[in-house]
Amino acid sequence: MRRLFLIAVIAGCAAAQLPAQLLQLRITGLDGLAAKAKESTDITLDSNLLKMAGGFLAGAGKDGKDGDTIKQLLSGLKAITVRSFEFKEPGQYRLEDLEPIRVQLRTPGWSKIISSQSKDEISEIYTRMEQGKVAGFAIINAEPKELTVVAIEGSIDLKDLSKLGGLGIPSISVPGQSKDSGKKGKQE
Amino acid sequence: MNLEDELRAALRRDNPSPGFAERVVARAQSSARPARAIPRMMWAAAIAALLVIGFSTAYEYREMKAERASRDAVVALRIAADKLNIARERVLRRETPADTREN
Repeated sequence: MRRLFLIAVIAGCAAAQLPAQLLQLRITGLDGLAAKAKESTDITLDSNLLKMAGGFLAGAGKDGKDGDTIKQLLSGLKAITVRSFEFKEPGQYRLEDLEPIRVQLRTPGWSKIISSQSKDEISEIYTRMEQGKVAGFAIINAEPKELTVVAIEGSIDLKDLSKLGGLGIPSISVPGQSKDSGKKGKQE
Repeated sequence: MNLEDELRAALRRDNPSPGFAERVVARAQSSARPARAIPRMMWAAAIAALLVIGFSTAYEYREMKAERASRDAVVALRIAADKLNIARERVLRRETPADTREN
């Protein structure tokens, strides 16, 4: 009887976890593009690495507007995945390559909040809400010579994120940070 | 007693008292103990040194991993922010008529 109760509790916990796992976006189908790209960025950070990163940034004591925003953003995140490719010439990837990602984003739970599509440019932003809060966030940005997919799990304030601005002006200095940091790198 | 008798008495062969051999062995063993204590101390020092090296290496590795993770997190968030702003800008550009933009 006790064993049955234990099995029921474990099954209940597993069932509760299942929808969240199913809704978690997996960036697949883009692995072959890195070889064709002039420059590629491959970043995968799970909750443990994000905690370490948050702790490191807090310990570094680098204050400032962007530093505080980054620390605040990181505190609510569970995972970040970025795949970005920059090509020498157009036509190095097909829009069909994005289909495995888009299929996941069409499932219930995800909703497209921004979509801009021109002849050769696509920008799409999706969010996943849980109890009235953003629990997931995805960006697809396709240009003739550039393709970027970002998947973020966890609560994130898009207003705070947009305040971070461009890549060119990093006002938070991480010890040992270089201009090309993150390029061709992967966290495991 | 003359000198000769005294010498003879002093140098006469005599059997040791009972338990002499055991006492000698016991004394020899007890005197060997301090010599064994030195290698033990060396072992303890070596283990302590290894532990210190191990812990400091693990700490350094963790710090290095955290530094790399923070660098990647900053880059990832900046890419996300950049692409978010691009998408918003495109939508705004599309929604704003050309003549309004020029003014």
